[in-house]
Amino acid sequence: MKKLLLLLMIIGFSLGGFAQQTQKILKKNSISKFYTCPLDKFLDTLALDYHLNIVFERDSLQKMDVVEHFFNETLKDALEKVCSDYNLHYWIEANGIIYILQNTDDLARLKKTKNAGDMAAGTVKPVQLPDPVAPPSHFKFSISGRVVDQGSGEPLPSATISIRNTNLTTITRGDGNFILFNIPSDTCVVEVTNSGYQPEKIRLDAKKIQEPMVIEMFTALNTLNEVTITGKKSGVMNTDTKKVGVLELNPASLDKLPNIGEKDILRAFQLMPGVAATNESSSGAYVRGGTPDQNLVVFDGFTIYQVDHLYGFFSAFNSNAVKDVQLYKGGFSSQFGGRLSSVTEINGKDGNKNEANYGVDLSLLSVNAFAEIPVTDNSTLVLAVRRSYQGPLYNKIFSQFNTSTVQGGGPGRGGPGGPEQTTPASHFYDADLRYTNRLDKNDLITWSVYNGQDNTDNSRALDIPSFLTSSVNSINITDYTKYGNLGSSVKWFKKWTDNIYSNTYITYSSFFNDRNRSTSGTTDDSNGDAVSFEQGIVEKNSLNDVGVKSEWNWELSNKLKFAYGGFLTRQATNYNYVQNDTSTLVNQRESAFSGGGYAELLIDPTTKLHLQPGVRETWYGPTGKLYTEPRFSASYVLNDHFTLKAATGQFYQFMNQVTQEDILNGNRNFWLLSNKTDIPVGSAQHYMGGVSYETDKFLVDVEGYYKTLSGLTEYTLRQSNAFQGAATTITQDFYNGTGYAKGIEVLLQKKLGNYTGWISYTLGQAEDKFAVFGNNYFPADQDVTHEFKTINMYHYYRWNFSAVWLFSTGHPYTAPLTTYTVSTLDGGTSTAYTVSGKNALRLPDYHRLDISATYDLLKISGNKIGSIGISLFNVYNHTNVWYKEYQIQNYAAIATNVDYLGFTPNLTLSLRWK
Amino acid sequence: MEIKRYKIKHLVLLFIAAVMLYACKKETTSASNNSNLPVVQAYLVAGKPITVNVFSQKALTDTAKFGPAIKGLKVSISDGSNTIQLTQSSTGAYTYADSTFLATGKTYTLSFSYLTYAVSAKTVMPAKPVNFAATHSGMTIDALLGTSVLDTLVNLTWTNPDSLRSVLVFNNLDGTSFAADTRFGSASANFELNTYQGSSYPLTQRTFAYYGHYQIMLCNVNVEYINLLSSNTTGSTSSSLSNQPTNVVNGVGIFTAMQADTLSFLVQ
Repeated sequence: MKKLLLLLMIIGFSLGGFAQQTQKILKKNSISKFYTCPLDKFLDTLALDYHLNIVFERDSLQKMDVVEHFFNETLKDALEKVCSDYNLHYWIEANGIIYILQNTDDLARLKKTKNAGDMAAGTVKPVQLPDPVAPPSHFKFSISGRVVDQGSGEPLPSATISIRNTNLTTITRGDGNFILFNIPSDTCVVEVTNSGYQPEKIRLDAKKIQEPMVIEMFTALNTLNEVTITGKKSGVMNTDTKKVGVLELNPASLDKLPNIGEKDILRAFQLMPGVAATNESSSGAYVRGGTPDQNLVVFDGFTIYQVDHLYGFFSAFNSNAVKDVQLYKGGFSSQFGGRLSSVTEINGKDGNKNEANYGVDLSLLSVNAFAEIPVTDNSTLVLAVRRSYQGPLYNKIFSQFNTSTVQGGGPGRGGPGGPEQTTPASHFYDADLRYTNRLDKNDLITWSVYNGQDNTDNSRALDIPSFLTSSVNSINITDYTKYGNLGSSVKWFKKWTDNIYSNTYITYSSFFNDRNRSTSGTTDDSNGDAVSFEQGIVEKNSLNDVGVKSEWNWELSNKLKFAYGGFLTRQATNYNYVQNDTSTLVNQRESAFSGGGYAELLIDPTTKLHLQPGVRETWYGPTGKLYTEPRFSASYVLNDHFTLKAATGQFYQFMNQVTQEDILNGNRNFWLLSNKTDIPVGSAQHYMGGVSYETDKFLVDVEGYYKTLSGLTEYTLRQSNAFQGAATTITQDFYNGTGYAKGIEVLLQKKLGNYTGWISYTLGQAEDKFAVFGNNYFPADQDVTHEFKTINMYHYYRWNFSAVWLFSTGHPYTAPLTTYTVSTLDGGTSTAYTVSGKNALRLPDYHRLDISATYDLLKISGNKIGSIGISLFNVYNHTNVWYKEYQIQNYAAIATNVDYLGFTPNLTLSLRWK
Repeated sequence: MEIKRYKIKHLVLLFIAAVMLYACKKETTSASNNSNLPVVQAYLVAGKPITVNVFSQKALTDTAKFGPAIKGLKVSISDGSNTIQLTQSSTGAYTYADSTFLATGKTYTLSFSYLTYAVSAKTVMPAKPVNFAATHSGMTIDALLGTSVLDTLVNLTWTNPDSLRSVLVFNNLDGTSFAADTRFGSASANFELNTYQGSSYPLTQRTFAYYGHYQIMLCNVNVEYINLLSSNTTGSTSSSLSNQPTNVVNGVGIFTAMQADTLSFLVQ
């Protein structure tokens, strides 16, 4: 029995057995023959001799001649040789038929061909769905199983499983597992569909239903989408029409979108409605009027606190290590908590369990390499490493984000003046490691590690001005900024019964942001003895997060599922600001225990209605209070095309990311925990609803949202050294306030055809009220009234072209209106601005066009082995203003615009090896 | 197909209606236009005559030091029991010559009307500094770098049991004639330091950028003056801009009282 099971596990259930059979015929048979004939005759001969089914266009192939002497060559090599001679590709479908293609897009046409002349059929008939082997013997039973990629064995999430001629349908979970209850009989047909794969049909029988099924899916030829299934996910980016505010992304298709430097999963989400796209200096998600720190980013179960590289230009996640990403734009399930706005859930790849797989991506910015290695029969390893190099693109972005004319905010008087023109050495890297071990058919252990870091090092030895050489021996300036994350989790998946399973995690995540700007050296004192000295600032922020959590699912029936779980976390933050090695100006250490649980029901009383009530309870140590978060979401399918959906809920946030303004060296972010005194626990209520209209080719999705926010914290840490020669002091101010955000989002998507893409429009408003800025609501920094995005992709044989145009209302800002000067007691003056209302003015509208072209590299067998791409960012070089700087000189104010990136080209090359 | 189209049309209409409704919402602006408020500058010193300067604010690009003086105002100051009327001098400043009006511990209220604004400001005359002294009457600068530049060479001390706020004002009688350290080429010869409500202040070689004869004045001041000095708006970005703190209602600038004690000091 066990052997049989093993066999089942390996072969799985799929039509693909026939494709494997064809592969085997091609590999095992060798030919030693001399051919001189038209190509169609050659194929006819092969089909006849080796019992193959080959489909081709006879008209075209007739004109091609084969003059070849094969000497003991495999059939596969022979086929590849002739295909290569005439620039053809062959493609084996899951049903075992070989298609000979002049262009990849020919497949759809050839598959529909009824012309018998275009087929060379061997004695083996093309596979059809087998008839039932016996009369039905089992009724009203349930089936469970897993859907995996045939090539790599990687579980496939979000594949649709349905029973033909019934309403029974389900979607595989993140780990590829599914369960379906109440199957009418054991002669039913299971249909499986998934984006990028060939559809599968499996006839059930009495034997198959005894054990969990492993359904293997074959990748589809990389071509335009010709299969039409309502609700099928097929694009780069998809909305879940059944749920409110859910976006899904498939990293494999990301190379079809323009990119600057790297395929970027977080940037891609910014092209969808409700996620702001105009913050070039932040990869973090500004979702529905929220800020990036209100967006929970979970990678394989652990929280990531620093989501971007290089001043926010690139997200910290390597798309090669990512299987799928979901963004919940609000009203999310009670499984998630601790953030006010949204959740980004990222799942790492399990890796290829059949054969080793390698790949490399090169761009003007970075090198990105990955390996997927089967370690043992049951375990796999994925390793992905990315590192930037200081090429022209890197330097361009670096200097863009380091240009400033404003003095102040820095460490004050540093060393003696003089030329300090150096190019800082700087880079970022990240690495992902994921080890998956299937202990047995019910237990799976996954160990995931993520490490990413940005280093900017501007340290140097200073040329000592001549007038000082008599007394000063050496001066070294240390100047670096380092920030990054280290996170890891161990996940234990356990399937307790067919319908109860759990995921239990031990998680660790740390974040740090260090800055050191100091001058050290030696000098001779009056006796001529060398004396060493050190001056400057050292600033450190770190965060540690250790936790355990367990998430359980109990699928009671097709109509009722129960999800529940518990969690326990300890978070600790440390913020330290030391000056001149001696005076510690700020030293904050805080830690917080929190724990709780959640429970959620997923109810489908009819096939049209879905209800999802839930509750989350969190006990937060520093305040000693219990926080209750009721959640509710629902959807109703009106008819084949219309779906209504809504969600609401209460959300709490127990930590804040604060920004320390540093005009000279770039702002630095760090995290502080909520407490009883100056940082309250944030609270939000969400109300969102929407309607979607979907046909085979189009999707229209309209959603509205309203959120109230309270317990918002704005933090400033200011260094005041207005007094000449005085010791620096640090003032920390915490301002508390409330806010709201509301808006309407519209998505119009064309899903199929050579031309695909979408138009996204968001009308939004986000306002805050902080007592310190007055009694009125003012536009929040991230408030954008109109945001219009159009994403256009055109597929032309092996080329993919795309054009993305973005337009958004300018961000609000505060401006000086007038200046005035008063004298001070020492005879000096103090000049100040009278400023406009908080965020009363708007920067100019933001718009830009990005275009890209990608050429797929294909093997003769039609499998994609890579791509070459060119991207042009901000094609018409529009000047988009990031912020304005003001400086007082000669009692007058000088305003300078600090701009975002202008026209920037990039080249990418991706290669994959098996 | 007809039905489908009809539905899309409905959806689009619904959307347009929603957008229009949304767009018609009355804008709530929080923009406060305080750019025409008067600038007040007045330092009341016990036992001295009173001068109150009132100017207009300047356009951003105006390089004049002060805005145009605002003339023809009826400026009065009350000490709680008596109210005095200031007279306009030739330069546009408002003055009061009787030096006995200002006394320790009293609260002074300035008031005048300008345009539609009732401008007022309040300040308390602090006590005079007590026992202001230096451990040495002078010091020597002989190093520019190294840890020794931060060694305390002279301590300024005073009695301050009530933790009054004070600033130390350094007046170099020789001006910028003798630079001690060329890297401070742009530093002014005169400067002031916050004492952070202490009762002593250490002087190091770093304190002085110029050699010369100094007059060191210890001024007991009010919080509004400390706030004025602490706010530093010379370099700001549009995301961090804020108004300078002021104690003038319906105006900007400062109206504050102070008392001082002075000693001489030599840096060589």
